[in-house]
Amino acid sequence: MMDFDVTSVKTLDEALKALSEYGDDAKVIAGGQSLLNILKQGLMAPEILVDIKGVAELDGLQIGASIRIGANTSHRTLEDASALDETWPVLREMEHDLASVQIRNWGTMGGNLCIADPTGDPAPVLMAYDAEAEIAGPEGKRRLPLEAFFVDYYETVLEPEELLTAVEAPAPPPRSGVAHEKFRNVEGDAPIVVAGVRLTLTEDHRRVEDVRIALGGVAPVPIRALEAEKVLRGQEPSDEALAEAAATAPGETAPIPDITASEAYKKKLVRVLVHRAAGRALERAKGT
Amino acid sequence: MKPYSVLGKPIRRVDGVEKVTGAAKYTVDVQLPGMLEGRIFRSPHPHAKILNVDVTKARALPGVKAVITAADTLKKPYGNWRRYEHLLDEYPLAWDKVRFIGDEIAAVAAVDEDVAEEALTLIDVEYELLPAVFDPVEAMKDGAPAIHEGATVDHNVSETRHIEYGDVDEAFSRCDRVREDEFTLHPVAHAAMEPHASVATTGFSGRVTIWTSTQVPYYIQILLAGALGLEEGKVRVIRPHVGGAWGGKIEMFKDQYCAARLSQMAGRPVRLEYTREEEFATTRRRTPMKYYLKTGYMKDGRLVAKEARTILDGGAYNGMGPTALYLTGFFQAFPYSIPNYRYNGYHVYTNKSPSSSMRGFGGPQAEFTCDSQLDMIAEDLGMDPAELRLKNSMTPGYEIPGYCKVASCGIQECIERSMESTGWREKRGKMPHGKGIGMGCYGFMSGGVFNWINTPYAFSGAMIRMGVDGFVDVYVGSSEIGQGSDTVMAQIAAEELGVPMDMVRVTSGDTSICPPDLGAWGSRQTLMTGNAVKMAAQDLREQLFEVARGMMMPNIVYAFEAKDGRIFLKERPKRGVDLFEVVKVAVRGQEGQQLIGRGFYTPHGKGMVSPAFSFGAQVSQVEIDLETGKVHMDQVTTAHDCGQVINELGVEGQLEGAFVMGQGYTLAENLVTEEGQVLNPSFVDYKLMRAPDVPVKFESLLVETFEPEGPFGAKEAGEGLTNPNAGCIANAIYDAVGVRIKDMPITPEKILKALEEKKAKEKA
Amino acid sequence: MEKKLLHFTLNGDPKTVAVKPGRTLVQVLREDLGMTGTKRCCNSGACSSCSVLVDGQVVNACSVLACQVENKEVSTVEGVAEGGTLHPLQESFLDEGGLQCGFCTPGMIMAAQELLSRNLEPTAEDVRHQIAGNLCRCTGYVKIVNSILTAAKRMREAQS
Repeated sequence: MMDFDVTSVKTLDEALKALSEYGDDAKVIAGGQSLLNILKQGLMAPEILVDIKGVAELDGLQIGASIRIGANTSHRTLEDASALDETWPVLREMEHDLASVQIRNWGTMGGNLCIADPTGDPAPVLMAYDAEAEIAGPEGKRRLPLEAFFVDYYETVLEPEELLTAVEAPAPPPRSGVAHEKFRNVEGDAPIVVAGVRLTLTEDHRRVEDVRIALGGVAPVPIRALEAEKVLRGQEPSDEALAEAAATAPGETAPIPDITASEAYKKKLVRVLVHRAAGRALERAKGT
Repeated sequence: MKPYSVLGKPIRRVDGVEKVTGAAKYTVDVQLPGMLEGRIFRSPHPHAKILNVDVTKARALPGVKAVITAADTLKKPYGNWRRYEHLLDEYPLAWDKVRFIGDEIAAVAAVDEDVAEEALTLIDVEYELLPAVFDPVEAMKDGAPAIHEGATVDHNVSETRHIEYGDVDEAFSRCDRVREDEFTLHPVAHAAMEPHASVATTGFSGRVTIWTSTQVPYYIQILLAGALGLEEGKVRVIRPHVGGAWGGKIEMFKDQYCAARLSQMAGRPVRLEYTREEEFATTRRRTPMKYYLKTGYMKDGRLVAKEARTILDGGAYNGMGPTALYLTGFFQAFPYSIPNYRYNGYHVYTNKSPSSSMRGFGGPQAEFTCDSQLDMIAEDLGMDPAELRLKNSMTPGYEIPGYCKVASCGIQECIERSMESTGWREKRGKMPHGKGIGMGCYGFMSGGVFNWINTPYAFSGAMIRMGVDGFVDVYVGSSEIGQGSDTVMAQIAAEELGVPMDMVRVTSGDTSICPPDLGAWGSRQTLMTGNAVKMAAQDLREQLFEVARGMMMPNIVYAFEAKDGRIFLKERPKRGVDLFEVVKVAVRGQEGQQLIGRGFYTPHGKGMVSPAFSFGAQVSQVEIDLETGKVHMDQVTTAHDCGQVINELGVEGQLEGAFVMGQGYTLAENLVTEEGQVLNPSFVDYKLMRAPDVPVKFESLLVETFEPEGPFGAKEAGEGLTNPNAGCIANAIYDAVGVRIKDMPITPEKILKALEEKKAKEKA
Repeated sequence: MEKKLLHFTLNGDPKTVAVKPGRTLVQVLREDLGMTGTKRCCNSGACSSCSVLVDGQVVNACSVLACQVENKEVSTVEGVAEGGTLHPLQESFLDEGGLQCGFCTPGMIMAAQELLSRNLEPTAEDVRHQIAGNLCRCTGYVKIVNSILTAAKRMREAQS
């Protein structure tokens, strides 16, 4: 089951070379907090793992006018980064409650995004921050909006010889507030539904200038609730408007019923979480 | 104020240092030279005839040292029901049929895990698929597939149970009101942190030594010997530290049989550890039940008559299900005086993993239904539910003729103290919408009088020896599974003998050294093994007093006492001698023989169930998220009557752990099966409570009574505490938001749905 | 698969072990080095019984590829006591009754040790958050939280 070889690389170039060499026979491992379970269950059987955990250039936060999160940055690094508080506080909030401290210490942001579990916490929050994914391959680097990175359940756009190198997000526009909400029945559990919302107010605070509503756990990939966003954009930031947007969002989702919740209940959660996140985002926007 | 030296104090566990340093060895830690890894081959089908099993390719795989199938067994049914052989329906390996997904067909032993796993893939079995049935009500119908031909009462009903006293029909006819309710209880897993595991080795003399994670070393000894065709004395069972059990380890399991049999065939030690998936999907589960409850009462709140009927989903084999079937009926009438009662229970086979004993043994199911219905009755009468319970509670000396006599009984004090401590009267029915307070009560056994295992030995035995070095060795067959029994035995011995705790060593869990004992189930060890230890200590005391009398030559009117390392005159405490000086003199005086004390205990004439009962009341406060239905447990207060508290930390630990287990049972845990397949056999998908889920405020009120049957007046404190949780929480939810969920678990989705339906009704 | 040499420090001692690439840290600790204090319970990172420290950070040993601890410092429960003296955490667990069957205890102690190395004044909420990944079936967590808070208090007092 765990009968594969491992090649531990030290640089991005070495990593890309190894991926080109091994192609479909290889899988990339950083922290392996999701991948190792998949391998233990025999759901995948690669010949070799390209271990990129030691690639220093993929690790670390660069915080300036925008934020650059190296793919190897651990969740714990983000959780501890007080430098995020001023501009991207919800990244820290989200990381604080992600999985367990053990998983946060060894697991990476890149690994989380590349596994493409639609219930993942980071994606909706990063989407609310307008994040982009940076990908390196044999032909060089390319970028795309994070929502385009996810293709299907546990599937991303990455080709076998490509690597996610970083996620970048600009500073939110002025008069913005962001919030993250999720629901689960027991603590430490994966979310059933997760929402990331950003509200930006006009200069006079009288209207919603822009909005992002990102949802996880409601479709094969994390989605933007575009119709719900349309409902709010340009409106007065009243509770009725927020409630209407929240009521629109479930209609854009297609949650799969499972042993944790029925489709109907997940849709109810969507409405509640969007409403709550929008309310908190609004309060924060007002406070800026 | 009782002048005890070590009882009732918060004492460190005797096995604590090993555990906090990682030195404690559990079965999964046992490593022997040349040890092989075992794995079990399991049926992928819920119901099928076995036409052929071919293991030739597996046997031929390099690294495989032994493979066994039913052909390598004695094909004798086995189980705890040695006295009631018609209930023995399980074989060491399946030979004619498989009856659930996971049913054991073969086992391999190989040089490592990987080879063993590969060997499993090389086993070929030909099946004839049979129609399967998964619902017990369906299984009872005409035409349902017969799971055990000829071994049933009727249509997959393997056993029934009946309890009756008073004149039920007459009583119902004169009741002011009668209410009937139906409830559904679901299956949950024990989820012990240490999985089932065994390491077995067979010596060239044919003696089998097996280290195994079990609550019942003596049962494993006799059952394994029987299954292997050996004399009992040829099997030695060693029970290392156990990482939790809760009733999931009171039977012989396939890892035990297969490790032993494989070690016989391979001539090498064999280790068999269940994976977490096997642990969830193929061991045992709590007995799910369909519960029908009818209660007749008067306008003044007096409960007059009760009738209960359960259909128990037994899974593919009996296990200890028939006992749960009985006890749920028995404890349905606890802790209230209900003079007219009738119970009928049906244990039904279905093609799923067997349901069996689990902490509370039918009690949690009984109390959930009882407590839920009592609150509904209270509402009907416009009465406070706590007052209704107080009005009907049992009192000390209560008797159910032919069934039990309750000697000590502190239920009323438990109810009153929990009400007082939580401010019940100011809160119940008066908190803002979304917040609520609820109560659950219980009475539970301190060990059972049942001898289904058919042992010729006393239920518990104890031997104590004292050395001139000042040490006291206590030998018992009780099982320390985390609940603290070794510490309790040390305390009882220390208290009775008058020696400090740190001079006492407890040896338990080796059948070639320790006396036979029925083991850890039914909350029996403090009372039963404790009584044996006390008796052995008394025996030793008397031997020491005899020598001390000779040494001190006091006036004949004086009595002796032993305390804090001294033996002295009771009425003249200053006159005494060092206890271990007496030991030295005594040993010399009997030609150097070690001082040995012996004790034993078996309940006699104690009714149908138990020699003593614990009691308690639990009050919890919840806050419901009205938009999601999520239940937030704010606080819980439990008042527990376990007679004399032996170890305060121990009792509190049981109380807290039991509540959290009950919280999980009520709100989130559920072993979900579809077409016989367990869908969530992992900690990711089976939702256990975690630290941030538990109530922030936990209050333990220890109500002390004195139980004449128990050592120093002590009773149980391990299982009774799981009985009230579900009802307590359900009643708090009702107080908070006015919805009553009768089918467990009580999930946020169900609460939200009920809230919406309630709103819609109110609008209409 | 051929074994490769793995070099790391275990509780302060240098270790060299030949391991197959697919082995996890918990397998190497328990099976190759006989360090059975670290428990394997679910083998899927969901229960944290196998918690150990790697370079001072608490991780699930079952979910760490052994080869990734090359040249790193690994700490297990066997290294918590110093010489013959129990660590304040261990004393507190004993005094407060923070353990019953003890199977989750090594993992709890390692998680607690990481917390106390970063913060000697945790609140009860901080503690519950830190051990949220560590499952316990016996205690209901109450006395585990008490034990860690007591240890923090004692360690603060010892410092001053």
